[in-house]
Amino acid sequence: TGGHTTEILRLLSCLSESYSPIHYIFADSDKMSEAKIRSFEQKRAETFSNSKFTLDRIPRSREVRQSWTSSVVTTLYSMLYSLPLTYKLKPDLILCNGPGTCVPVCISALLLGLLGIQRAIIVYVESICRVETLSLSGKILYYFSDYFIVQWPHLKEKYPKSVYLGRIV
Amino acid sequence: FRFKDSLAEDLRSADLVISHAGAGSCLETLEKGKPLVVVINEKLMNNHQLELAKQLHRDGHVLCCNCSTLVETLQSMDLSTLKPFPPGQPEKFALFLDKVVGFQ
Repeated sequence: TGGHTTEILRLLSCLSESYSPIHYIFADSDKMSEAKIRSFEQKRAETFSNSKFTLDRIPRSREVRQSWTSSVVTTLYSMLYSLPLTYKLKPDLILCNGPGTCVPVCISALLLGLLGIQRAIIVYVESICRVETLSLSGKILYYFSDYFIVQWPHLKEKYPKSVYLGRIV
Repeated sequence: FRFKDSLAEDLRSADLVISHAGAGSCLETLEKGKPLVVVINEKLMNNHQLELAKQLHRDGHVLCCNCSTLVETLQSMDLSTLKPFPPGQPEKFALFLDKVVGFQ
C-alpha cells in the first residue's frame, strides 16, 4: 500500500543488477502501487537493460485496526494465495517493510523452508514512521525474519536483535 | 483540490507548508527543503502516526501545533530555527544487503 510502496522502492533504488528478477507482491485492493512500481522499473531498465520483474496480487490480509481474531482468519485466507505463489516463485530473498501483505508471504516462505523446498532469507525493514513502536507486522516478523532493520535508534535499544543503519529511505 | 496524483509541483512553489502529521506529507515536504508546520489533531490520529511528527519536532525539523494554536503559531513563528532534513541513505541498505546475500 501507498507509503509502504514508496519506501520499498527507495530501498530498491540502490540495489545492483544482480537482484533480478524482482517479484512484487501486493494487496488486491491496492490501486496505486502498480503504477508506482512500473514507473520505477521503467527507470531501472534504463540503467540495467536486462532487469526483469513480475507483479502479483494476493488478498489483503488485514484492514487498518482490524481485530486480532478476524485478522488471523483473513491472514489464513491470504495464505491460500501466498503459499502457491511463493512455491512457484521460490525466492532466494524476501524483502518486506510492513504492510499486512508481507505476513502471509513470509509465513509461506518459512513453511517452504521447514519442508526443505526452498530456503529464503527474510529481510524486514520497519517503516521510517515507526520511531518508538513497531507495527504489528514488525512485532511478528522480529522473531521470524533473518534480518530486522529499524530506522531510529530508540527501536534498536528496545529490540536489540535488530539492525540499525540510520535512515535508509 | 480532491486527490492529485502528486503534490510535487505545488510543493516546489510553496514558501511554507502547513500539513497534518501524515508521514508522507511530512517527509515529502522536508525533502524539498520547505519549512513545515505540522498541525496535530490528537483526537483523529492513532498514536503511531504521531511518532514521526513528534520526533521531527524534537529534532528541530518542523514546528508543531494543534488546530486551536495554529494562528498564534503562524504569527509568532521563527522559521530560521528549523534545521534542514538530510536525505535518507538507501545506499547503506544496498551495502548491507550485498553482504547478507553474498554479493561483495
